[in-house]
Amino acid sequence: MNRLRRLLTASIAIAAMTAVAPAFADSKGKIYYMVPTLLDEFQTESVSSITKFMGDVGYEVVTLNADNKTDLQQSQMNDTILQKPAAIILAAVDFNALAPSIEKARAAGIPVMIFDRQITSTPSDLTSVAGTVEIGHVAAGEIQRLLTEKKGGVKGKILQVLGDPADPYTLDIQKGFEERMKEFPDVQIITLPAMQWEASNAGTIVSDQLVANPDIDLIFLHAAHLSVAAVAALEAKGKKPGDVMLISSNGAPVGLDLIRKGWLNVEVEQPLYAQAAALAMFADKVVNKQEIKPGTYKVLGLDSVLTIEPWGPNIKIPGAAITKDNVDEARFWGNLKAPADKITPVQ
Amino acid sequence: MNHRTLRMTSPRQRAIAEFVLDHLVWFMLATVLLAFSLFVPNFFQIGIFANIIEQSTFVGVMAIGLAIVIIAGHMDLSVESTAALAAMITGILFCARGIGLGITLTPEWLVVPVSLLMALAVGAVIGFLNGFFTIRLKMNAFIVTLASYIWVRGLVVAISGGRSAQDLSPSLRVIGIEQLLYVPLIAWIAILCFAVFSFIMGRTPFGRHITLIGGNAVAAFRAGIKVDRLMFISFILAGAIAGLAGWLLAIRTSGATANLGTGMLFNAFAAVVIGGVSLKGGVGKLPGVYAGVLLLSSIHTAINLMGLPAHYTQVILGLLVLAAVLLDTLKLQIRQRFA
Repeated sequence: MNRLRRLLTASIAIAAMTAVAPAFADSKGKIYYMVPTLLDEFQTESVSSITKFMGDVGYEVVTLNADNKTDLQQSQMNDTILQKPAAIILAAVDFNALAPSIEKARAAGIPVMIFDRQITSTPSDLTSVAGTVEIGHVAAGEIQRLLTEKKGGVKGKILQVLGDPADPYTLDIQKGFEERMKEFPDVQIITLPAMQWEASNAGTIVSDQLVANPDIDLIFLHAAHLSVAAVAALEAKGKKPGDVMLISSNGAPVGLDLIRKGWLNVEVEQPLYAQAAALAMFADKVVNKQEIKPGTYKVLGLDSVLTIEPWGPNIKIPGAAITKDNVDEARFWGNLKAPADKITPVQ
Repeated sequence: MNHRTLRMTSPRQRAIAEFVLDHLVWFMLATVLLAFSLFVPNFFQIGIFANIIEQSTFVGVMAIGLAIVIIAGHMDLSVESTAALAAMITGILFCARGIGLGITLTPEWLVVPVSLLMALAVGAVIGFLNGFFTIRLKMNAFIVTLASYIWVRGLVVAISGGRSAQDLSPSLRVIGIEQLLYVPLIAWIAILCFAVFSFIMGRTPFGRHITLIGGNAVAAFRAGIKVDRLMFISFILAGAIAGLAGWLLAIRTSGATANLGTGMLFNAFAAVVIGGVSLKGGVGKLPGVYAGVLLLSSIHTAINLMGLPAHYTQVILGLLVLAAVLLDTLKLQIRQRFA
């Protein structure tokens, strides 16, 4: 009897803790944001910025987290389609695996906007990206500059630390980076992945490589949070800021802090705020299935080019290289100062 | 060697064979290290061996608690998330940047014992909850700790908001940076843990009783051993030790991210199995588990140095666990033949 009572009490307590119902306000409609994970700061900030900007133009945002699981995101898409929202914003866990879900949503009359992770295999209603391959290009340009400044030419040894090797996001950055570095035969690139984007895995790679290849000139990490562990590994090997050049991508707050402390030379930013704002600017047109015209649009002050591609309207926001000279600028999402001005819909 | 030949071996030969069987994982480790030293470029150097020991720290410490629960005849899938929670709380309280509150204490060194005690306490609370549901409410340990694995990681994301804490207090960072005999202090802490818990498990009534319970809980109960109490303690210990692993992880990475420690549970499980702990309970020694952890770290390091795609690590890891279980079965058969 006692055991039964304890079981009941525990069950009620657990149920009470989880049964917190959100309150919804009136709006133009609900837009579901399918976020791939909440385990990194870019995605976390994307939730708050999309919620804020969509709120500016009158939409309520419901976010579903896929925990980096493709099958879960597919199920979430199926469930969301049944809710008949005004639109869906998708940041896909897997670029191609979600194509059938997009087709299903659009067939049900629900417009789909693609955020950050470009899907070209099927049409969608609007894509807002910085371009992951382009991030690799920007990184390559900065690395060429840094190597030239240090060694008088583009030569030396680079350690490239990827994220999880099953994540197309990191593979695209790698592709962009390596296609721009191909023309420099005096550069040796050692590439290793940090499984599951886990920071201590990156630290382990850096520790091992510093022993095996003490002449590494530069380390390129595909996410800012990995560079924190890399710096910890460098510190443990007695290195000081500047001894080994560091560059990472995505522009997270940790990366900006490391620039300020002198450890990180460059952070290649994904313009999160502008990417999110672009979706809000065109939300009415997407929801009402109005024509989106190609051209150059100012998105939070950034000149962004909208083109009509085979997969639909595609707005590309330029990424930026953050260095110690511009690290404090509010436009970088890593400074976590989301623009206070309201977004104005494109007419 | 047939059945008859085995029975005809001398006591000395039998003792040697027993020794080899008891320490098989150490021989495997020695063989692997020798092979890597001969064939993997840049492997044979003191820095690499120090790295292997350092990298064994987190999975190793986590594996101690996991092994204790498994030897006691249960299961704890929550150790990875518990470590992540302890790391995140350490990070939030004692990091100066990101979501860190940058709490400082006077004198500054106080941050070491205070943060350590907090991490241990966080782990112990999770362990207590696991023990409560499993021992008091007689729920299945696999399900209870699987639930903890999920909700504790969820708690890490919730309290961090998905953000990270960085720039850990210098008093703590010193433990991750300073070295003794080429090996960082955090790795010495792991070695000390293995030494202490090996002693506890091998030489104290607590350890012997835990092993007895894992082997046959009913017999242990009839022998007057307080089975429930000791199993409860083993869950609390596993949680507290996972908290320690999280504390060390935060020190190593100078903070915490929401996905810190992801994937370590399976490495810890692999190390425990390779180290000779039976998943059925009642069998296993912690030094063997440490050898298992070192073996896994050696393989990870070799793969890093060879530049092989990391997918191979998982393939090799899986095959290694399979080989370990196979060897364990063979060991049992060989022992039976000697008997």
